[in-house]
Amino acid sequence: MNGKPAMPHSDNPLAWFAGMMDHCYDFAQAARAQGRPIVGIMCEFTPREIILAAGAVPVCLCGGSGATIPAAEQFLPANLCPLIKSTFGYHVTGNNPFLNWADLVVAETACDGKKKMFELMSATKPMYVLELPQKSDNADALEHWTAEVRKFKEHLEQRFQIRITDGQLRDAARLMNRERGLRRQLAALLTRDPPPLTGRQLSEFKSIISGIEEDLQQYERAIQIFGAKPASPPPGLPQVRVLLSGVPMVHGAERVLELIENAGAVVVAMENCTGLKPILDDVDLDDPDPLRAIARKYYHLPCSVMTPNARRFDTLRSLAAQFHPHCVIELVWQACLTYDIESYHVRKLAGEELHLPHLKITTDYSPLDSARISARVEALFETIRARTPSTESIVSTASTASTLQAPVQTAHPRRTP
Amino acid sequence: MICAGIDAGSRAIKAVLFDTARREILASGLAAQGVAQERLAADLLDKILKEAGLDRKRISGLVATGYGRHAIRFADTTVTEITCHARGVHFLAPDARTILEIGGQDSKVISLEDGGRVRDFAMNDRCAAGTGRFLEMVAARLEMNWEKLAELGRQSTKPALISNTCAVFAETEIIGLLADGQPLPDVVAGVQNAIATRVAALAGRLVSPPVYFTGGVALLPGMARALEAILACPVQVAPRPQHTGALGAALSITNDKFSMTNSQ
Repeated sequence: MNGKPAMPHSDNPLAWFAGMMDHCYDFAQAARAQGRPIVGIMCEFTPREIILAAGAVPVCLCGGSGATIPAAEQFLPANLCPLIKSTFGYHVTGNNPFLNWADLVVAETACDGKKKMFELMSATKPMYVLELPQKSDNADALEHWTAEVRKFKEHLEQRFQIRITDGQLRDAARLMNRERGLRRQLAALLTRDPPPLTGRQLSEFKSIISGIEEDLQQYERAIQIFGAKPASPPPGLPQVRVLLSGVPMVHGAERVLELIENAGAVVVAMENCTGLKPILDDVDLDDPDPLRAIARKYYHLPCSVMTPNARRFDTLRSLAAQFHPHCVIELVWQACLTYDIESYHVRKLAGEELHLPHLKITTDYSPLDSARISARVEALFETIRARTPSTESIVSTASTASTLQAPVQTAHPRRTP
Repeated sequence: MICAGIDAGSRAIKAVLFDTARREILASGLAAQGVAQERLAADLLDKILKEAGLDRKRISGLVATGYGRHAIRFADTTVTEITCHARGVHFLAPDARTILEIGGQDSKVISLEDGGRVRDFAMNDRCAAGTGRFLEMVAARLEMNWEKLAELGRQSTKPALISNTCAVFAETEIIGLLADGQPLPDVVAGVQNAIATRVAALAGRLVSPPVYFTGGVALLPGMARALEAILACPVQVAPRPQHTGALGAALSITNDKFSMTNSQ
């Protein structure tokens, strides 16, 4: 460690990431002491590369705690997604130091709930809003988004009195590509049967601040440690392999993931914004215009605000082929209209094309319905096990892939605007 | 071999003793749910054992189901009520392809394959709007018991329109309808329709005939008819609708009780 004393937990990546919030706190404090601005982000559409290239620290501010929701409901309707309410609740209570420190919060016109919440937050918080067009295969829309990202870059230059060069954008993209690549490699270990780590463990490998060097080294260490772990099936009934799709499961809001795995399953892949969705694609470093390349990578995030959202279904097809799940479980936060409605297509895809049972769970951040969720999850697993002899592994095809394939896009007809 | 099933539901505990050799129910019973549900379940089991002239040593396996299944620690294992209702109804009515189950706090729609295996299912989320709890609330508000409630519903000529999205809002609506002088039978029939509509929405694409209706609410005359009208297909009340869960639990034990999750 270059003569420095070893940091606590440095040999144990899981223990390191268990202290993720503390590390981010220390990192942000140190950055502020050096005069680096803190820029809050609340959605995976916000290009972290632009913020990093500005020398600022991008911090994810999405709320994962139900504790701040009552405070938020003084201003927001009760019938709103808990992620938005929790995030805004931190703003009201002042209990998120990163939000308090934020010199700027970046928002985007993704879902209506967030969009209107940002208006309330902007009354007392410096905010920049990126306008996100929502037809993902419309070439004009991508042009508009690229212009939005360019304006955002210029805004940061003006606000922080700096210049952002193409070289800095490429460096930031290289760093983010490295981080995404490492997280993909780690996630790819769950294609194995049995996987060397659980979905809950994998969900620990994240940081609300991207690009921290020590985190990247810990990802590398985790890939080595878990990659070398011999495959030994856990005792008891064979594990059910679950492909989890739907809304983001913010730090602290992993209850449903735990309920699923406690019922005798392993969540082998998470198709959501806190799982694989934002890390499957990289920024093209060979593009002569790095800003355009960054804009393109972010624009193609298959969020349910996009219409039609064909890329999400391509992603699900691709993940099903690589991870060999026995079922698709879909998590929808209460009052998240876009994911709730889009669930119709996911169910159809699972049943008719992937031939996998599908279970939709609609809930929020309060744990009162845990027993009810468990009953449905257990019933799903009973149904899956009843179809398969108990003496055999319930996995028909074991995969040994070491890298994840980005979904192959099927031809999406371009529509004239 | 004698097997026992206990269904610890939200409002009642049900128990069944099943003789696997003769393929018949030896005894069954029901007790009101309470705080000490493990003791209540044990007392109920002992009561039906006594009725059948047996003792606990004769039981080869005991499976608990229902929302309180994990509290029944003397059970050998637990199976969810979805799997158990499917097994219980399939045993009593082998032609069943769809099961509607309305209990105290749940409503479920279970779609069966040939052979009685669960093909798919849907279950209500947090809201009590499509459950027996809603009916109980209405009965309490109207100060009458279930039987009287059903009798009133049958007299309705023009069921009132009551929203099916929230039991709490619906109660407010009911108070309003009564204050406006709506005939009581129409209000009751409106409540039954609201529950049936909710369950039909849950059922969505899952319904294929023959459809059987089970759970405590199936005992209420008028509910099956309300479901038939909304689903536009015949709905038969399952035999022993309060006991199909406990029966399915008992049926989950076959010769090898350690492979019970795979048995049919």
